[in-house]
Amino acid sequence: MKSLEALLKKQLKTVPRWLVWGFIALSFIGFLDATYLTAKHYLGIPINCSFFTGCEEVTSSQYATILDIPVSLAGAGYYLLIFVLVIAYLDTKKERILYFISRLTPLGFIASLWFLYLQLFVIKAICLYCMISFTTSTLLFILGLILLQLEGKEIAVNKS
Amino acid sequence: MKRIVLWSLVALVIAGGIFGMVKLGAKNPADRTGPPIDSTSLSDWSKGNKEAKIVLAEYSDFQCPACGAYYPLLKQLNQELGGEMQFVYRHFPLRQIHANAELAARAAEAAGRQGKFWEYHDLLFENQREWSEESGAKNIFVRYAQSLDLDTGRFTNDMDSQEIKEKVDKDYASGVKSAVDATPTFFLNGKRIQNPRSYEEFRSVIEEAVKNSS
Repeated sequence: MKSLEALLKKQLKTVPRWLVWGFIALSFIGFLDATYLTAKHYLGIPINCSFFTGCEEVTSSQYATILDIPVSLAGAGYYLLIFVLVIAYLDTKKERILYFISRLTPLGFIASLWFLYLQLFVIKAICLYCMISFTTSTLLFILGLILLQLEGKEIAVNKS
Repeated sequence: MKRIVLWSLVALVIAGGIFGMVKLGAKNPADRTGPPIDSTSLSDWSKGNKEAKIVLAEYSDFQCPACGAYYPLLKQLNQELGGEMQFVYRHFPLRQIHANAELAARAAEAAGRQGKFWEYHDLLFENQREWSEESGAKNIFVRYAQSLDLDTGRFTNDMDSQEIKEKVDKDYASGVKSAVDATPTFFLNGKRIQNPRSYEEFRSVIEEAVKNSS
């Protein structure tokens, strides 16, 4: 972790450090959450029905898989990609990696909005773990917007 | 060198995360224990050997997909070990999240009045997807009653009767008393057990209990 911090200190002249840490933390939380749901899917252990999680209804619904692949696996891949890309940015210091990430986050956000709609209006059950993912993808999207704004400013400065 | 350390660390963190989540996923969340239940009461629906020393009780919700997933396991268990145990079914409809669960429980009770509780219980689980999200589930339940040659007039009246509502409430209250908060929840001779993760595990839990009781 020390080498990560050292790398962070060295750079981030234009991109605030908290933004990068935000990307790292959120993508990792999202990755753990989606991995947990994927593990549950493949281990075949039913999540109990309870008032608190509502997950069995959601994860066993027809919307939880596409062509037999759990959507949580796609989610895990999405978060892992962001996580690895942020580390790649720390490694190479190429800011375009961050800007690429910011263009990726709307995908996760739109997917999350779709899943929220399905939970609220179609399946009519809310799964706690899906809501965690909704939160992380929304926050990643917001961080992405902030990054885009920074990019806009930078371009403006460069042009002038 | 620094790059190798960084990427090794990242690979380690990712692998650790996956390992941890798979471990966590293999655990059953329902491991809370509450006070034991009365294994059987006269109003219970039970099958198997009524004289058996082993009583397996299930708090279940007909609309719960997890209960639906356990249904074939329990059916097989009853077929293979029915002579050595008694199986008790109690209603625990999660009304807040399952709009048709209570009505399904009452429909099964109404079928029970005409001697076909277990047949109806099987029908509900086998066709769970058909009625779970339907606003007109009542009509589907009457159709199921018809398919079992029940008197549908009596069935409909019973389904709405105060007595049957109270029976379902009584089952639910007995579960709440023993800290049931999810379905299915199993009790073996009154003591809550962790939900077995496979048929083999379930079978060995029962066989172990049979062995210890003899």
